[in-house]
Amino acid sequence: MSPTPSWVKKLKPSGPQGSELLAAERKKSSIDVGQLSEFLFTEEKLQRRNEILDILKSEKVFDKSQNYFAGRMDRFETALARAKKLQNVRVENKWNEDDMYIATELISEPGPYGLHEGMFLVTLRDQGTPEQHKLFLDKAVKYEIIGCYAQTELGHGSNVRGLETTATWNAEDKTFVIHSPHLTASKWWIGSLGKTANYAVVMAQLIIKGKGYGPHPFVVQVRDLKTHEPLENVHVGDIGPKFGYNTMDNGFLLFNKVKIPHVNMLAKFSHVDPNTGKYSRPISPSLIYGTLTWIRSNIVLSAGQVLARGVTIAVRYCAVRRQFADRDAPDSETSETPVLNYTMVQIRLLTLLASTFALHFTGNGMMKLYRANQKMMNEKGAGREKDSKRGAGPEETHAGSDLLADLHATSCGLKSLASSTAAEGLEVCRRACGGHGYSSFSGVGSYYADYLPTTTWEGDNYMLTQQVARYLLKSARSVLKGDKPTNDTTTILTNFKNRAEMGAAFDILGSDEDLVAAFAWRAAFLTFEALKHRDEQKKAWNDLLVDFYRLSKAHSQFIVVKNFHDALTDSTTTQSLNSDTVALMHKLFRLNALHTLETESSEFYASGAATVRQIQLARTTAIMKLLEEIRPHAVRLVDAWAFSDWQMDSSLGREDGNVYEDMFYRASELNPLNKITIDPYPGSEVLFKGQRSKL
Amino acid sequence: MPDFTDDLKPSYDGTAILQAERDRSSISVHELSKHLLSRDGFLERQNRIVPILENEPLFNKRQQLNLSRPERYHLGLARAKALRRLVKKHGWDHEDHKMAEYLTDEMSPYHLHMSMFSTTVKEQGSEEQKKYWWPKIESYKMVGAYAQTEMGHGSNVQGLECQAKYDVKSKEFVIHSPYLTASKWWNGTLGRTATHAIVVAQLLLPDAGNNGAFLSQGPHPFIVQIRDMKTHMPLDGIVVGDIGPKYGYTSMDNGYMLFNNYRVPHDALLSRYAKVDPTTGTFRKEGHPAVVYGSLTNVRATIVMHARLVLARAVTISVRYTSIRRQFKDRDAPNDTAPEMAVLDYPTVQVRILPLLATTFALHYTGEAMYNLYNDTRASIDKGDFSSIAELHSLSSGLKSLCTTYAANGIETCRRAMGGHGFGGGSGLIGINNDYLSKPTVEGDNWMITQQVAAYLIKKMTSAVKDTSNAAEDPTDELFKLYLSDRDRKSSADIICDGEIANGAILEAFRWRAADLSYQAYHARVVQKKKWNSLLIQLHKLSNAYSEMILVQNFAKALQLSRLSPATAITMTHLFQLFSLHTIDADARSFTTTNAVTSSSLDALPNLILMLMAEKIRPHAVKLVDCWALPDYILDSALGRYDGKVYEDLYDRAHRRNPLNRTTFNVDWESDEIVLGSGDGGRHLLAKL
Repeated sequence: MSPTPSWVKKLKPSGPQGSELLAAERKKSSIDVGQLSEFLFTEEKLQRRNEILDILKSEKVFDKSQNYFAGRMDRFETALARAKKLQNVRVENKWNEDDMYIATELISEPGPYGLHEGMFLVTLRDQGTPEQHKLFLDKAVKYEIIGCYAQTELGHGSNVRGLETTATWNAEDKTFVIHSPHLTASKWWIGSLGKTANYAVVMAQLIIKGKGYGPHPFVVQVRDLKTHEPLENVHVGDIGPKFGYNTMDNGFLLFNKVKIPHVNMLAKFSHVDPNTGKYSRPISPSLIYGTLTWIRSNIVLSAGQVLARGVTIAVRYCAVRRQFADRDAPDSETSETPVLNYTMVQIRLLTLLASTFALHFTGNGMMKLYRANQKMMNEKGAGREKDSKRGAGPEETHAGSDLLADLHATSCGLKSLASSTAAEGLEVCRRACGGHGYSSFSGVGSYYADYLPTTTWEGDNYMLTQQVARYLLKSARSVLKGDKPTNDTTTILTNFKNRAEMGAAFDILGSDEDLVAAFAWRAAFLTFEALKHRDEQKKAWNDLLVDFYRLSKAHSQFIVVKNFHDALTDSTTTQSLNSDTVALMHKLFRLNALHTLETESSEFYASGAATVRQIQLARTTAIMKLLEEIRPHAVRLVDAWAFSDWQMDSSLGREDGNVYEDMFYRASELNPLNKITIDPYPGSEVLFKGQRSKL
Repeated sequence: MPDFTDDLKPSYDGTAILQAERDRSSISVHELSKHLLSRDGFLERQNRIVPILENEPLFNKRQQLNLSRPERYHLGLARAKALRRLVKKHGWDHEDHKMAEYLTDEMSPYHLHMSMFSTTVKEQGSEEQKKYWWPKIESYKMVGAYAQTEMGHGSNVQGLECQAKYDVKSKEFVIHSPYLTASKWWNGTLGRTATHAIVVAQLLLPDAGNNGAFLSQGPHPFIVQIRDMKTHMPLDGIVVGDIGPKYGYTSMDNGYMLFNNYRVPHDALLSRYAKVDPTTGTFRKEGHPAVVYGSLTNVRATIVMHARLVLARAVTISVRYTSIRRQFKDRDAPNDTAPEMAVLDYPTVQVRILPLLATTFALHYTGEAMYNLYNDTRASIDKGDFSSIAELHSLSSGLKSLCTTYAANGIETCRRAMGGHGFGGGSGLIGINNDYLSKPTVEGDNWMITQQVAAYLIKKMTSAVKDTSNAAEDPTDELFKLYLSDRDRKSSADIICDGEIANGAILEAFRWRAADLSYQAYHARVVQKKKWNSLLIQLHKLSNAYSEMILVQNFAKALQLSRLSPATAITMTHLFQLFSLHTIDADARSFTTTNAVTSSSLDALPNLILMLMAEKIRPHAVKLVDCWALPDYILDSALGRYDGKVYEDLYDRAHRRNPLNRTTFNVDWESDEIVLGSGDGGRHLLAKL
């Protein structure tokens, strides 16, 4: 195509320019953006991020401008080149783990070394003996071997106990034989395995003398260290294109009776005696239990940021974008209304904006609890006796007396709620951008697609809620027995039980404390209802799953509302933020809580936590007023999330508001399709002029 | 290459499982398919065309998800041309061609030529214009696009910025883009393919009283050549190109276009209804473009019918896969040796998928009703009298909004209900998700257009309040008058009595709620004079409530009239109940606040819905999706295959059909080489960035 002519280059968007519109938006509000950003992230982290951003920008390979155009092969190849370069940069600049995390967030695509860093090293470290560390971990740290974590199979995911791959102990030559007896035994979805890894930690059913001992981790070499070809009787490859995550080589893996030495079974928690073949479990795996809680808490924390990215893009664009004149405007006023002024856009975006902060504070609260708990466990160290009897789920812990159990159950429910909120919220943001939201240049679509697996991994969002329900039922039973409350959950259940005969009267519109209490009431009500179904009416577990899902959601929503409220009343908050900002945060808290309450109103009504009249007033008056009050600060509030344009890679979400110029630039200058001229007539076999058909 | 994995079998047999599912239901798939898919010979047509496409290598879908954007367009263009050749070879008519495009399941780069472009010329061109253009259009001597939407304006057509200024001296229109935001944007077929376009521009005519000034007559369509017929390069004064990658619609070249004082002759203005005197430049309207409203209603009926097939696809795939897929043992199982449970037996899965299954039928009967009404009144519509479908037209934007939202959200719900494999390319829901997600925001944003319905209902309520004496003029009027006369004495309805579902009461509840919400909106806007903007959320809910009422009414009416065999008919009634009750439960509050349903009925709903799903629908689920007769070719899904060979197909796609597995990479971070043995040092890659 011929270069863009000068008459096009001179064109400007009509009406007020995007940059003027965003400047006007920022002028309407006096919220101190820098202060709020530092409160969310700390000044030090923001500073560090800018330094890292500069380094990444200076390397050509990290240039994002062709990402939206490339096919799967090119995407993967580029991702591998980036992963390599990132390692080089890391060594050169002596980056630590936090720095790497920041860099990965900025690059914002899953990379082929991801599972080596994220799971292989961690598993070797946590589950290997000192001997195994020397043998595997030391090499892995230096990238002399590259690994992944192969647990999920074609036929089994969340149900780890159902895995089909076997590891059979062979006493004669002291080896394990790793084997895939069925097609469904194929490892599947394993990140970094498809093309990259030469080692894998393989979860397989341990079999000794014909007896099964459940799934255990084995270190298995899968590719030759020189030729990088699969080893004999190992069949490994990439599983093909996906909804998102196409820069990652998720892989499959099958074994045809592959022998590995005794030392390759990771033996920190379980051990097979090489001489007698006797199986033993020296230490209980309660640490893994902690790791899972930590991973899920992280998902909650990052969900706030993930959602904030979509909200930033949508809020900025909807402040620039204008559509239709206001029906009630005088005839002299003919200019179109910014889309963000429409209440039906506000009810979608400003409520999500409130959620970003709610999730952020909840994630912070969880991390704090987790650290406190770790500290306590390390100090005690004595709880081991009790731990050794503990199985894999919270239902088998001593509910009502165990902070860790509460933390774990809470993290399951919150992981489910937070990642669903973020994923669905991103799609809401994309649609709120109208037609242009459908363009890749919106920056929302591909990000959504990459985020989606979070709703199924580390526990499917529906499946997980069973664990929460199980824990809540157990807690309720202990409360009914008369046990003293020892944590948040048993406290609210006890309160409810004590007042059950008196009922509640919460001033949800007048008092923040009452609003939180109404959420607690509803969660407690649903817990005892579920308990009645299960214990008194003896309903089948399976028939109660929908109730359990709702119960878990109610409990998690209570935790979110409570954490948001706690964060606002905390002295660090009131000391670090201006009183204006704190007041605005209170409004966001109320919007989040009241909007949730309105959406779930039938449960609040049924439990007696709120009246029909209160719910109606919340919808027609309180929420509408909050939207109006928050609206002027919307752009500054998203600014506080401090996303760089480079990270978001979005025309619509640009900080400077030059939406249309950027879309046009990407379409006309960066778009490879425009370099091609075609033959349009069906009678002609020629497709792209001057090119031989590849089809 | 043969290897040890060739002989491996899955640990359970999907084919046998689906066979068992089919054996245990007495529904006649053949009967129900005919019942659903006979309009315009749909089923027969599909059966005829599928084998033809399956035999053409170009229409094989296996590599699509691996391709880059330019490659997908390349493939799309090749297929578009090949389809034209098939049309000739098999003597296909227009419906056949449309069926083939539907089965190919991607947007053809010729799509706008055969739809909006030709329709606009046909409907808005003068007889003379039609005579000139039609032979060229039919023979594809030219390829046309439809350029209305701009970068800065979509739904608000009156706000378009592109201008067509009439120059009396030269008798030409000067088409011009005064701003960057005046650039045409999103227009299909325009980016790389079209030689011509309908350009919708503000018609500016000289103001007789005011020398040198111009007056706008609003947006009008012009037919404009944009590229050279030989070199296919843009003509001088026009910049046109493709807008780049999107969430979906990869094969389509949605375009942008700008004009620099570009001159077109007087007869470029499509002038069936709007005429400009060539010498004086005065404007004259002729006739009434009511036909356009008629065909718009028809278009919306098509959207609803398409939505049902899209949703049926997602439901078919997820029902088949979750019937086969096993996960965890039942916690109440008596012993350890119990097999794992089919995922579709979990209520948490049923509650997501089975209401959507019921929704496919609800959409079907409303789509049918819209078509029937349009066809029955076509003769009077063609004469410009569209009073008989005026109401449907006004309400059809609400139906478009609700039905496409159902389908778009339903695809994603089904995808997630399938767990991890739903995310993979083998799910068959990636492309459809990507493509269909455009629907909630195109052809009227789903949130924006509900304002039209609400405005109409407020108007109707206002006149019903003013005058209750006259006979009802249409169904809405009838409902509102009934509502107004009963308003003070009506008590809420028991839709469940002693565990039995009262179908008649369900209908009444939906009608009452819709009327009461209309009254509330009327009261807020007309009596209390509240700001329109402050009511938008309420109005959106009103539109949805009204559309839900239409869906429920049409569903019930169709079941009364149908002549299905008793076994099938009873299941259809259960589907009707599931759809209605699930809709009520999902918005229970609005049924309480409008006093439409008793709270004892609402309390009983959740359990009743679970019972309906588990006992009445679940046993027939596989056969009910079979009835939609979606061929494996269009499903393109390992998980949703008719024969249940889920795992074999997933593995085949990953192992044997995946181009990434044909390359070995150099993974050592200290080496710049990316493809092992290429010795390239990553240079070709950097060159592409």
